[in-house]
Amino acid sequence: MNRTGPFLTRRGCLRALLWPAALLLLLAPGAYAQAPSDEDVKPVPLLTGSAGFITNFTGGQPDLHPIGTPLVLVPIGHRWVFETRATFENDLVEVPGRSGFHGGPLQKEVEYAQLDFLATSYATITVGRFLTPFGIFNERLYPVWIRNLQSDPLILPIGIGPSNASTGGMIRGGFKARPQLNINYAVYFSALSTASPVDSDRFAGVRTGIFMPTARLEVGGSFQHLLEQERSNLFGFHAIWQPAPLPLDIRAEYANSKRGSGYWIEPAYRLSQLRFLQNEMRRMQLVARYQQFFTGDLISDALPPINTKECEFGLNYYFIDGLKASGNYGRQFSGRGNLNIWTMAFTYRFVVPLGPAGSAR
Amino acid sequence: MKRRWLLVCCLGVTACLVRSAIAQEQERSGKGSAVVTAAGAATVNSNSSHDRRSPEALRSSASEQRAARIAGEKLFRANCGRCHQPPHKFPPRVMAMAIRHMRVRAMLTDEDMRSILSYMTQ
Repeated sequence: MNRTGPFLTRRGCLRALLWPAALLLLLAPGAYAQAPSDEDVKPVPLLTGSAGFITNFTGGQPDLHPIGTPLVLVPIGHRWVFETRATFENDLVEVPGRSGFHGGPLQKEVEYAQLDFLATSYATITVGRFLTPFGIFNERLYPVWIRNLQSDPLILPIGIGPSNASTGGMIRGGFKARPQLNINYAVYFSALSTASPVDSDRFAGVRTGIFMPTARLEVGGSFQHLLEQERSNLFGFHAIWQPAPLPLDIRAEYANSKRGSGYWIEPAYRLSQLRFLQNEMRRMQLVARYQQFFTGDLISDALPPINTKECEFGLNYYFIDGLKASGNYGRQFSGRGNLNIWTMAFTYRFVVPLGPAGSAR
Repeated sequence: MKRRWLLVCCLGVTACLVRSAIAQEQERSGKGSAVVTAAGAATVNSNSSHDRRSPEALRSSASEQRAARIAGEKLFRANCGRCHQPPHKFPPRVMAMAIRHMRVRAMLTDEDMRSILSYMTQ
């Protein structure tokens, strides 16, 4: 099969979309029969998302990075949701011989566009283009208003495909295994697509996590089998811990593939327990991250070409809900030479209802 | 041609936003008058309505509400706080959409979703 041209493999894509769609049609009448309405309040379509202005100095080279990621959420009936997120961004750099910062054309991309069917209390079926659920960063921590440090972890490209998303179907959900033990899962299949920028690899995978509410600890693992190229297996682990007596978040992730492996660990401490300047201190958060990347047997354009270590320290200041200023310093160590990375950013999360928002029905 | 389409799209989005803002305002004013009316009615009927329920029933209902609120807050902190800072409380229908989205993204159960929604809209 020719897989070099810029096209979506029609048969693969159809198969990837048809199986979940068939399942969706089979389950839909049953779900309607067994459960009444989902919520007591009727949801309204939303335009939400984030905007940011991020300034990087990597090895002394400045780079201005304005970014906007609108997300549209549309409820359809009681059990369906259509959601799509786009990214508009630009990289402005200094060009030798010219004054000021210059960038190319605005980069536009539909990151995902998915249709979710809330089949049962414990299962949701998703079809379309969705963020690949490998590890926690890509799906849960990626938006600029959520992430504690604005730079991506070095291992982020492992397991998420060429454009962070998959084209196909997914079943996901969560349930209580015991009163103090929640289990969540996501099983997915993606078809090959070479149509940039909505390209995706052909793979199947699973991610599962165990959350213990009393300990406020989540641990989990991801597994993926690549169904093209070297047909290799990828795996990873993740953990999030929020010790109850402290305003501290500790997140960590490990990923392993034939193209490289590595880990990151990121503690973030909110200064709300300090006794002085309490109004200011409760808005501040100290963050640190240490990460390491090890090259694999195969090379990848998205991953560092040599073994790399990086440590970062940052401070976040939350002005109001959704508006945050961040500053951080990092030092990268690798065989190519060590370099300093400075980042300053303003990020904002917006929520605009696309209809009447106040009443219950 | 492209510019014309862009202009049409921008106008469409602006019209939607304006419509949404007007609708929210109407909703708010409608809700305000409804609250005033309800408050008036409640004052008038307060004695009779209080008489209908025994003090024990009222106490147990209040403690149930309090327990539900605490449970909702716990679930909110445990599930939503794992990834992001707690947001402001949004209007009920906005919150319902956000929670439905988070049910998919954060893989919440139906029960947890309802409990968090109830806490966030109180």
